[in-house]
Amino acid sequence: MNDLSREFESVKDKVRGLLDKQTSSGHHTFRRSKDLLAKYGIAFGGVSVIIAVVMIFFYLLYVVFPIFKSAEIEPKQEYTYQLDSTLMWGTEEYGEIAYQLNSNGDFIFFDTANGNVIENYSLELEPGESVTQVKYANREENLLVAGLSSGRILLLKQEFKLSYPNGERVITPNVLYPFGTEGIELQDVPVTAIAAAKNGETLSIVTADTEDKLTYITFSIQESFLSDEVTLEEDNRQEIESEIAVDYLLHDPTATWVYVISSQGELHSYWVEDSELISNERTSLVGSTVSVTDVEMLVGGISLIVGDSTGQISQWFPVRDENNTYRLNNIRNFEFSDSPVKDIYPEIRRKGFVALSQANELGLFYATSHRLALLEKIEGLADSAKVIINPRANFLMISSDSGVQTWQVENEHPDLSWSALWGKVWYESYPEPTYTWQSSASTTDFEAKFSLVPLSFGTLKAAFYAMLFAMPLAICGAIFTAYFMAPQMRSMVKPSVEIMEALPTVILGFLAGLWLAPLMEMNLPGVFLILILMPVLIVSFGYFWHRLPAEFTGRVPPGWQAALLIPLIIFGTWLCFELSYPVEKLLFDGDMPHWLDAEMGISYDQRNSMVVGIAMGFAVIPTIFSIAEDAIFSVPKHLSNGSLALGASQWQTLVRVVLPTASPGIFSAVMIGLGRAVGETMIVLMATGNTPIMEANIFEGMRTLSANIAVEMPESEVGSSHYRVLFLAGFVLFVFTFVFNTLAENIRHRLRRKYGSL
Amino acid sequence: MSTNVELDLTKEDSNDGINFEALQNEKIAIEVENLNLFYGDKQALHDISLKIPEKKVTAFIGPSGCGKSTLLRCFNRMNDLVDIARVDGAINLNGENIYGKGVNVADLRRNVGMVFQKPNPFPKSIYENVAYGLRLQGINKRSVLDEVVEWALKGAALWDEVKDRLDDNALGMSGGQQQRLVIARSIAVQPEVLLLDEPASALDPISTLKIEELIHELKEQYTIVIVTHNMQQAARVSDYTAFMFMGDMVEFDKTDTIFTNPRKKKTEDYITGRYG
Repeated sequence: MNDLSREFESVKDKVRGLLDKQTSSGHHTFRRSKDLLAKYGIAFGGVSVIIAVVMIFFYLLYVVFPIFKSAEIEPKQEYTYQLDSTLMWGTEEYGEIAYQLNSNGDFIFFDTANGNVIENYSLELEPGESVTQVKYANREENLLVAGLSSGRILLLKQEFKLSYPNGERVITPNVLYPFGTEGIELQDVPVTAIAAAKNGETLSIVTADTEDKLTYITFSIQESFLSDEVTLEEDNRQEIESEIAVDYLLHDPTATWVYVISSQGELHSYWVEDSELISNERTSLVGSTVSVTDVEMLVGGISLIVGDSTGQISQWFPVRDENNTYRLNNIRNFEFSDSPVKDIYPEIRRKGFVALSQANELGLFYATSHRLALLEKIEGLADSAKVIINPRANFLMISSDSGVQTWQVENEHPDLSWSALWGKVWYESYPEPTYTWQSSASTTDFEAKFSLVPLSFGTLKAAFYAMLFAMPLAICGAIFTAYFMAPQMRSMVKPSVEIMEALPTVILGFLAGLWLAPLMEMNLPGVFLILILMPVLIVSFGYFWHRLPAEFTGRVPPGWQAALLIPLIIFGTWLCFELSYPVEKLLFDGDMPHWLDAEMGISYDQRNSMVVGIAMGFAVIPTIFSIAEDAIFSVPKHLSNGSLALGASQWQTLVRVVLPTASPGIFSAVMIGLGRAVGETMIVLMATGNTPIMEANIFEGMRTLSANIAVEMPESEVGSSHYRVLFLAGFVLFVFTFVFNTLAENIRHRLRRKYGSL
Repeated sequence: MSTNVELDLTKEDSNDGINFEALQNEKIAIEVENLNLFYGDKQALHDISLKIPEKKVTAFIGPSGCGKSTLLRCFNRMNDLVDIARVDGAINLNGENIYGKGVNVADLRRNVGMVFQKPNPFPKSIYENVAYGLRLQGINKRSVLDEVVEWALKGAALWDEVKDRLDDNALGMSGGQQQRLVIARSIAVQPEVLLLDEPASALDPISTLKIEELIHELKEQYTIVIVTHNMQQAARVSDYTAFMFMGDMVEFDKTDTIFTNPRKKKTEDYITGRYG
């Protein structure tokens, strides 16, 4: 006993000595510093992730934010300048040089910074002649038509020559007569109103005289072979007595419409056909006691902007009705002021306009987005004040009391508003308000259509069909694998499904777009046969297997029966595709997609939601399967045994105990799958056709937010409205996933509280 | 001490330690005939023959791995869930072999309830836990369920503790309450036999005491078979005791007899704590 005790003592001493040595050797300090390093390292990593996510969030917001900023104006100069009897005024591109034309025929260019006259051209007028009205025939070419008191028409062209002496921009204005100085002799009475359109090689001019007689002349422009000289050749001349007073005369740039408007608000529109005016309709733009105070055309010449004496501005454009005739519709109204609208001036490049009321309130409007970007009262203006804006829409001039005020304008994104992004918008030439995404076109006067609704719809539609395909397969597969399958088979099946997740989505998209989509189109009845026949086949096989004698079924080890289905499924698929053509011939006139279109009115696109559903379903299945399988498998055996011991069948145990207990896990599996389906890009990009339509039809495609970003980001100009809307789409996607995940996490927690953490 | 050893040796010589004579005044509920059970190639139960008296408590004792839980699980065929388990022999319940052809295992299990070592209430409300067995059989009438739930909870001596929180999750109860809930759940389907597989081994002494009292009350109505590691518990709650060793039924007798005067040396060694 003593020996043992001594030995024990010595071992105890030895171990204690060793441990003390370890402590003093700094091993513990090292261990503690490792712990600290790990603690702070992990904390740093975690916080960095949160910061990164928050920064992405704020970066998106930072790019998106200017969309919702109101316009701002800032006064620059105010100086004395006589703008009396001005028929027309404006500035060139940069807002450096302004021009005015008065009735004496003085075409004056002056510096916008101080009002110093740069050039004063006198038009080549006959003695006694004066200019009565002048209008643009083509805004981009700066081509003007001037009606004269003698009944003559003069065609002018402004020219702003850019040169860079000493590295500085110098603009030299000039006035040219591209078709000669003699003009066009029209009549003996003065021209009171004029409008013109130069559209390619044709020029059309419409004029009104003191008797309200309209004259419509079309010319073709002939270019000389030998020199640069161009001449006008009159094609047709038509005279019409106007039924209403011609206070405003407008002609659209495509030379399709002529509008005559009286200050009482009556409108008479003419439609141009074979160089002749044909009366189209008469309507009233305002109420009986209201008068029209200004009318302008928006860029593109489709919309009329009408200001009236109640201070309201309304937008009108022709819409084709059921009888296939165009009727002018009141599209939207802007409540501007309590006092009459004094002056409207459209922007040259956008569907926006500026307006000035009798009370000298200045408004910056945008038609498409139905937005009043700025409303500000301007002090020190005369009653006769007028407003203009330069083509870049960043420089504003208002004629004040015997002078001019100039303003710097910051109005980058008036074309976007909540209603333009999320509401139904009535776009020009559309028969009704719609949700449309069409961000760009080949023409400059195009109205960009930035509705995020079709894209959000497409995103949800793609995710819906993908989940419709993936959820039953993945969850049922997970249930079978976790609950019924033999362990050896499970150990093969589970990794195989999980490895599918590693498949690059671009390959899936590629296969879906180039292999599956045509295959499905060719064998559409076969695909539907699979949907109908396969479950029947599988269930009946199960039934026959159940009825087979035990000696036979006993040969298959328990839990391996599912493997018997593999040849059955292969055979079933083959059979369905073999039957595809005969069925198509028998029931669908030999072409099911065509039959669907003709008989059912369902249009069929080759790249449609079904293809996307299957392809994206394949991408989502491994995610859902893996998580759901883990959840079901980890339901404790003692729970299911407890249920079985109470006389429950396997199925009852599964449905009443195992699935409810695993439900938080299954639910998060589905939500993670959904999150993936919503954010998925490559598959939808390659297999949907990317048409931003709003149709729930399974045979039509869609465009999703993510695919839209991928498609359009490379072609959008940095800082433009389009660019910011794409960021907004990204932000919406971010919010989508954020909401989904938060919701999912909440529900999961609730389920977990209910079904416990076992 | 040496005399005792001699005594044991003589007892060892008597070939049969199973004294069915003790049961002569009892009605027999379960009769096990030559039961052999194999896990794959390994035999876990060797030729067991046994009679379980009706409305009495029969305890199975024996060292770990002796097969007492396995035998217990044969009575409601829970061993069927183990793929590699194979049984031959017969177990007659009310004169009918439960391993015979055409026996519905679910019905059998309803008739032979089982309580496991670890309390396993379902993650549902207390009410739904007790009503579960009835709902399985398609009984969903609220008035019936209410009545049965109250009866079962009272029967399991749990009613007073939970009557105000029947809709609370059963997982919020203490371990002892959970085990009594599981017993309530089992008796709610009105079984004839109740199998208790070490029902108190995971519980504290007070909960254990409550369970033992409950067993005492339940034997008025049910045939109870209990597996336990706790010799005192076996002595306290059971009327008859079977001692198993290495898959063999070594001794069966009245509990008093087994604990005071065992016939076999192995039994005595075990009871006196030489091994186990």
